[in-house]
Amino acid sequence: MSTPSSVVDHSALKVNQTGIIATVLVAFIAGAFFRPAYWLIPLLAIVLLVGTFAPSLALFKQLYFQVLKPRGIVKPRPVQDRPEPHNFAQGLGGVFLAVASIFLIPLPVVGLALALLVAVLAFVNLAFGYCLGCQIFFQLERRGLVKATRSSETSGTF
Amino acid sequence: MSAQLWALAVVSAVVLAAAGLESLRAWRARRLAVRASGAARGEPYILYFTGDSCTVCRTHQEPALARLDGIRVDKVDAVADRELADRFHVYTLPTTVVMASDGQALHVNYGYAPAPKLARQIAEARISTVSATATA
Repeated sequence: MSTPSSVVDHSALKVNQTGIIATVLVAFIAGAFFRPAYWLIPLLAIVLLVGTFAPSLALFKQLYFQVLKPRGIVKPRPVQDRPEPHNFAQGLGGVFLAVASIFLIPLPVVGLALALLVAVLAFVNLAFGYCLGCQIFFQLERRGLVKATRSSETSGTF
Repeated sequence: MSAQLWALAVVSAVVLAAAGLESLRAWRARRLAVRASGAARGEPYILYFTGDSCTVCRTHQEPALARLDGIRVDKVDAVADRELADRFHVYTLPTTVVMASDGQALHVNYGYAPAPKLARQIAEARISTVSATATA
């Protein structure tokens, strides 16, 4: 087995997860008193989905690369890793939030529960390093349903 | 506010159910995998299932394995070597299997296993080997 030749800055992933948790929590708590706060959930879904397909447009990662890292607020933590499982996990989070957004008006309990679940999974990843999306990616890869490009071929270093 | 409380209750129930199912799945897989056998090496060793997509393998599991001095670790790509991975019911990465000297799986750890836990399992594997030799 080869060691991935691409490098992923895990601090960028941590900032991304922190951004997801904070946004969902603000929407969840503020939404109880100020309904328009729920709009943060579809906005977050868009941010995650756009960031999955165009990493240069990933809001939280860009916040890290453009602001937090250059100013030394967050130290970089490069790890030899593949970006695909993380991108897949982010996309999955975006899909869950998009579904949550659809439910927010007719069934707010379902919409809020789905959004909160995404925040819980982001927290588990942030605190314990367990990435459910990456495990699903592994299962799909094992079954040949996902054919990821080999690390040496990827240029997606973020 | 009531929507928030209900959502919180639903998520708590989902998380608890998922944790319960995960424990049940690991217990069932472990029960089946412990019967499996691999190559006999004359010394207890570790089968380490990993993959390119496993980040925890590189950030946590490999440093933990490196702390085990003098223990042979056979690294297996769980995606490439499906037959071996299926034999040990590998459903998550990393998975570590502590093998006795006769090639019998003694302990199976699904998910990250810290170095002290692996060292304890290796010590148990050595004791079981010694007692098996004494009985024979």
